[in-house]
Amino acid sequence: MKSKIVVALAGNPNSGKTTIFNNLTGTRQHVGNYPGVTVERKVGYCRHGDVEMQVVDLPGTYSLTAYSEDEVVARNFIIDEKPDVVVDIIDTSNLERNLYLAVQLMELGVPLVLAFNMSDTAKARGYEFDIKKLSRFIGAPIVQTVGHKGEGMEELLDAIVLAAAESKSKINGDQEMSSTGALSSKASIRGPRLQMPLINYGREIEKEISGIQSLVQKEMVLLQKYDPRWLAIKLLENDKDIWPRVNSPAIRPLVEESASRIEKVLGEHPETAIAGARYGFISGACQEAVRSTVEARHTMSDRIDAVVTNRVLGLPIFLGLMYLVFHLTFTLGDPPMGWIEEFFGWLGGVVDSWWPEGSESILDSLIVDGIIGGVGGVIVFLPNILLLFLAIAILEDSGYMARAAFIMDRLMHNIGLHGKSFIPMMIGFGCSVPAIMATRTLENRRDRLTTMLVLPLMSCGARLPIYALIIPAFFPQAWHGRMLWIIYMTGIGLAILSAKLLRSTILKGESVPFVMELPPYRMPTVKGVLIHMWERGWLYLKKAGTIILGVSIILWAMTAFPRLPDDEKARFENERHMVQTIIQGEEEKAGRLAAVDNEEAEEALQYSIAGRIGRTMEPILRPMGFDWKIGTALIGAFAAKEVFVAQMGIVYSVGEADEESETLREKLRDNYTPLAAFCIMLFCLVSAPCMATIAITKRESNSWKWALFQLGGLTALAYVVTVLVFQAGSLLGVGIG
Amino acid sequence: MVINEALSASLEDYLEAIFHIIAEKQAARAKDISKRLKVGGSSVTGALRSLAEKGLINYAPYDLITLTPKGRAVAEDVVRRHEALRDFFVNVLTIEEKEADEAACRMEHAIPKTILERLIQFAEFVEVCPRGGSKWIAGFQYHCDHGSTQQTCERCISLILEELRKKKTQGGQKPMAVVNLKDLKPGQKAKVVKIKARGDTNRRIVEMGVTPGALIEVERVAPLGDPVDVKVKGYHLSLRKAEAEGIDVEII
Repeated sequence: MKSKIVVALAGNPNSGKTTIFNNLTGTRQHVGNYPGVTVERKVGYCRHGDVEMQVVDLPGTYSLTAYSEDEVVARNFIIDEKPDVVVDIIDTSNLERNLYLAVQLMELGVPLVLAFNMSDTAKARGYEFDIKKLSRFIGAPIVQTVGHKGEGMEELLDAIVLAAAESKSKINGDQEMSSTGALSSKASIRGPRLQMPLINYGREIEKEISGIQSLVQKEMVLLQKYDPRWLAIKLLENDKDIWPRVNSPAIRPLVEESASRIEKVLGEHPETAIAGARYGFISGACQEAVRSTVEARHTMSDRIDAVVTNRVLGLPIFLGLMYLVFHLTFTLGDPPMGWIEEFFGWLGGVVDSWWPEGSESILDSLIVDGIIGGVGGVIVFLPNILLLFLAIAILEDSGYMARAAFIMDRLMHNIGLHGKSFIPMMIGFGCSVPAIMATRTLENRRDRLTTMLVLPLMSCGARLPIYALIIPAFFPQAWHGRMLWIIYMTGIGLAILSAKLLRSTILKGESVPFVMELPPYRMPTVKGVLIHMWERGWLYLKKAGTIILGVSIILWAMTAFPRLPDDEKARFENERHMVQTIIQGEEEKAGRLAAVDNEEAEEALQYSIAGRIGRTMEPILRPMGFDWKIGTALIGAFAAKEVFVAQMGIVYSVGEADEESETLREKLRDNYTPLAAFCIMLFCLVSAPCMATIAITKRESNSWKWALFQLGGLTALAYVVTVLVFQAGSLLGVGIG
Repeated sequence: MVINEALSASLEDYLEAIFHIIAEKQAARAKDISKRLKVGGSSVTGALRSLAEKGLINYAPYDLITLTPKGRAVAEDVVRRHEALRDFFVNVLTIEEKEADEAACRMEHAIPKTILERLIQFAEFVEVCPRGGSKWIAGFQYHCDHGSTQQTCERCISLILEELRKKKTQGGQKPMAVVNLKDLKPGQKAKVVKIKARGDTNRRIVEMGVTPGALIEVERVAPLGDPVDVKVKGYHLSLRKAEAEGIDVEII
C-alpha cells in the first residue's frame, strides 16, 4: 500500500537538525519562505519502503511559546497543518534543555518521535541513557542517531512510519491504544500511552488550569482546533500569539485573576512556575534514566573558550578572524569576478558583431547593454556571495558565531543593536549585498531591519573607484590617506547615528534580551557547509537577480532613449566623414574620430532621459555644488556605484574612462572646487545605495516599504549632509580656491 | 524622597499603571491607561502631560508612552511600596486579596518611608521568629473570626520549643545571603532563588533552564565587560548584565 505522509522536524538550534534533514532528503530540497514572514521554509522529500514522505524542516527553537517569529512559525505549522508525525531532534549531550521542547510537543498531543542525536558525543562525555525508561516517561518512541555519520537513519524512518500508522489507526476510531509495538533493534518500545496529563503542575496551578479549562470547553470554536488543557496552560503562560485566537471576552479577566492568584501563592509568575514544573519533570526523568559515568568538568569546548573568549585574547582573535573572512571573500572572489566580467564583455562583443558595424539597432543595444550587461551585473556578485556564505557557514556551524556576538555585544548594544549585527556591518565594507543577506543571523526583526537599513553607510568596495578618481585629482599626496579615512569614518559615524535614530523612532522598542546559547564547538561538515552556501547563492540569483535585471534594463533605457534626432546624428556623421577625408595621418585621424565619437556620446547622454532628468534636477543639486553632469552620472551610478566614473567620462567627452584617467581628472579640476569634489564623494557615500542593495533589502525584509524607505531615507540624509557641508564650506571659504 | 514630593497621589497612580502596562506590553498607550485606571481620556492626557513635564515619561500625543530612567525609578518605588503594603495585609493581617490591594493602593501614597520599612521588617520578623510563623498567623485569623483565642497555648508553646531544639541539633544551617547574579565572580556557583524580570525576558530566561532552584555557575565575562557566560543545566548561556540583574541567587 502506497501512502504519503508529512513529517515535521523540530528541535533546538544546534541540535544537528539540519544535518539530519540533509541526510533524510539528500538533494531533494526546496527552500522558500513562510507566507508573510522572513522565516525560511525548507521542504524535502524521501521514500521509505512504500511510504513517500514530505519532510518539513521547522525553524530551530528552544520552546513553543511565542517568543520569536521562528517559534510562532514552528508552532503554527504543527497546529494548523497537522503533520502526520513530528520528529524532535535532541542533542543528547545537552539533554535536559533539549527535552524542554519535547515535553511541550508532547503536551500538544502530536504523534512524536524523538531522535536522540549526537549519541556518540554523549557517550564520550560519559552519559548512559536508559532509553526504554525515558521513552516511557515521555510517552514517545526514541531512536538513537549520529547525524554527521548518518547512523540511525533507517531506524528513524522505521519509527516515523510506525508512528504515522499508529496515529492514523487511532484517528480511525480505534479507541484502544496499541500498547506496544516492537521497533527495530535500536529503537525502543512505545509504552502504554498516558491517559493522564504528562506533567502535573502541582496543586495550585492545576486548580487554575482546570478552572480555565472548563471555561474554554464552553467555546466550541476553540475545541475543534485545540486541546482544552493545552489552551488553558498557554493562556496562563500569557502567550501573545494565543490571545488573539481566543475571542471570548469573558476569559481574559478570569485568566488574569488566576495568574495573579498563582503569583500570590507561589511567589512566582505563572510562566516561571510552569517552566519550573516542566524542568522539574525533566530532571526527575533524567535522574531515573540517565547515568553519568565520568565527571567531566572541562570539555574540549570549554578549553577552546578559555582562549577564544579570553578577556585579553578574545578581541584580537575575533578581529583577526574577521579580517580573514573579509580578506578571503574579497581577494579570492576577485579573480572569478574578473572572469565573469570578461566573459560577459566577450559575449556582448560576439552578440554585437551579429549586427553590421555602426548599426543603430535598438535590439542590439537592448541585448548587449541592457540584458547581457544586466545579467552580468547580477552574476558578478556570485563569487563574493558564495565565498562569504562559505565563511559564515563555517563560523556558524562551528559555533564561533555565538562567541562573536558575545564579544561584540557591549559595543553594538550601545548603539541599540545586537552583538550579532557586527558581522554584517563589517562585511558591508566589501559589498552591501552579501552583508544584508548576512543579517539573517539576527533573530529579532527590529534589530535586523535597523542593521539592514544603515548597512549601506559602510562604504562598500564599489565606491572606492570614485574616491580613487577624485582624491588624487584635488588633494595633495600627503592628504590622500587622510581623505579616504575621513570618508570611511564619516560613513561609520552616520551609521551609528542613524541606527540610534531608528531605534528611538520608528523601530523603537525595548532591546531584546541577550539570552543566547553558546553552543559547544563542533567540526562543521563539508556537506552541511556546501548546502548552506549553495542555498544562499541560489536565493540571491532567483530573488534579487530578477529585480536587478529589471532595473538594469530600465536604467539602460533611461540612458539610451530618446535617441539623438536624425539631423544631429547626420551632423556627427558628416564630421566623421570630414575627418576621414581631410586628415591624412592615420594616428591623428584615429584621434579625431575618437573625439567625434566621444562628443556624440556626450550629446546622446545629454539628450537621453537621464540627461534630461539631470538637467531638470540642477536647481536642486546646486546647493550641494553639483551641476547637471554630476546629476546624470549619479543616475547611472544607481546601477552600480562604480559606474559613476564611467558616466563622468561620457559627460566630459573623454570616452571610456576609469579611475586612473588623468584627462578626466584634469577636466574635473577645471570644473569643480576641492570642496565640491569632497561633496561628490560624500554624496556617493551616503546617498541611494545601488539597485542591487535595494533589491536585496526588499527580498530580505520581505517588503518594498523598507526597501524604498532605505532608498529615500539615505538619499535625503545624503542631501542634507552634503548641502550642510557645501554651504558651511563655502561660507568659511574652505577648499574653494 | 525628593523626587516624589512633587508628585500627587493620582500622578503616582498613573505612573504605577504605566509601569505595569509596559511590563506587559513593552509600551503603553493612553487608551490602555484610561482602561486600567477607569478614568476618562482627557484626564489621562492631562496627567501624561504633567508627568512628561517632570521628565518621568516620554510622551507625545498619539505616540507610545515609555518611562524615562528617572520615571522608572520612581515607578519602581511606588510599586514596591504597594506590594509591601499589600503583602503585609495579606500575609500578616490575613485580609482578603482584593480588599488588601485596594487599601494598599490608597495608602501607598501617604505612608512615610520609615513606617513602611518598619512594616516590612515586622512581616519579616513574624516569619523568622519561632513564636511567629504561619501557625501563629492562622491563630490570629481564628481570633479575628471567632473573637476568642484557642485554649491550646501551653501545647503550642511546647511544640515551638521542640521544633526549635530539633532545628538546633540538625546543625542549624545558616540561611545563605541572597545576591544578584550580576555580582557573582567567574568561578562562583549559586542556586537560583527568584527571577524578577518580567514579560518576554522572564519567559526566555526560564525557558532556557534558569528556573528557581536551578544551579548556575558564572564561567566568564566578555572581553568588553558586558555579557556574562554562565553554565546552567550543563550548557553555556550568555546574559547581559542588565538581565543577570533580574536574577536573585544564593551563593553556594
